[in-house]
Amino acid sequence: MKTLLRNFLLPVFALLIGCGVGLAYSWLIAPVEYVDASPSLLRDDFKDQYRIVIAASYASSHDLARARARLELLSATDPLGELNAQAQRTVGSSESAANVQLLAQLATDLQKGIVSVPLTSTPFATKIKPTVATSSTKSIITQTPTPESIEPTSTPTAELIQTPFAILAFTLTPRPTFTAIPDSGTPFILIGQDTVCDPTIEPGLLQFTLIDSRRKQIAGIEIIITSTEGEDHLFTGFKPEVGNGYADFVMQENISYSIRVIEGGTFVNNISAPTCTDPNGKTYLGGLSLAFQQP
Amino acid sequence: MSNWLKYFILLIIGIALGLAYGWVISPVEYTNVTPSIMRADYRADYVLMVAEAHQREQDSETSARRLAMLGSDSPAKIVEAALTYATQNGFTETEIILLQGLHTAMQTYQPQGSNAP
Repeated sequence: MKTLLRNFLLPVFALLIGCGVGLAYSWLIAPVEYVDASPSLLRDDFKDQYRIVIAASYASSHDLARARARLELLSATDPLGELNAQAQRTVGSSESAANVQLLAQLATDLQKGIVSVPLTSTPFATKIKPTVATSSTKSIITQTPTPESIEPTSTPTAELIQTPFAILAFTLTPRPTFTAIPDSGTPFILIGQDTVCDPTIEPGLLQFTLIDSRRKQIAGIEIIITSTEGEDHLFTGFKPEVGNGYADFVMQENISYSIRVIEGGTFVNNISAPTCTDPNGKTYLGGLSLAFQQP
Repeated sequence: MSNWLKYFILLIIGIALGLAYGWVISPVEYTNVTPSIMRADYRADYVLMVAEAHQREQDSETSARRLAMLGSDSPAKIVEAALTYATQNGFTETEIILLQGLHTAMQTYQPQGSNAP
């Protein structure tokens, strides 16, 4: 027994203790220090933040291939699915509407595979503002009175009116080029309101379709639905399989809703779920389809 | 060789085996890491994205908040590191200009609520 203990058990015991000490040191005391991590290892909240930055960057660069490659760094299996999931999550969270819009726009473009016209037309808006013309006008006006004595006669007045007029006409000529670009401030107009009596769709379904002046569906537009039950926020583009400018909401029976399209501040009041009758005379809650367009 | 020396050698071998297993064969696996330990090229690309977004938004507050994800260094320092990486690693001229623009913005950026004059 003593020989067995000395020749077998004690050596094994020593080896096991050694292994235990080694593992404790390598796993607990001095674990491998991770550096050079890839974005796929990031914590979920950091991944969400990363995606927002990808979407914000895409909104500036419109480089869809690069945005896709960057998203793949975060999730190689289903980057688009992850992006859509985040977009859906952020609608109900305290995330800013701008971020939701950025995510929705990128998700839609990735789904379609094309770069859509940017919604925010800030650079264009500054170009079409007549401020350039105004400043040119001012400079012309200030330059014209250089003749030494300007008598209060009618002659200089004629010059003053005529010069800025010519400048204005010249500066504003390129304006038609910009009218086709969706302007974030242009109000949407309700162009269609149809009752949908189809027992196969969800009762009380309120469907929105938002299109621009070229009848192209627009994603990322916020719609606020208010009723006595509270306030709901929707964004177009979360169901690209239906349409990029599509959004929907389920209305309750006997409740009146007010609808506001944030872009341009369009209001539609007194919207409620209609009552439909099937061929057997039985009534059921129908739906509504609203179409909005930018003029 | 005395028995104690034998046990001691076995103990050392055990420790070596334990370390090899813990450091090489099955090291601690990290998930849920913070962006501060991202590889330099990923960090530089992240900063470039912030720079691209900044070009459109011109919102230093938002850009600084986005950069803060990369660690506790000042936003200007984070951009500076990315700019250095970009110049050494063949980023395009446009990208470097974007990073320089962000760098300038971050150098002049004062966090909201700071008591600085």
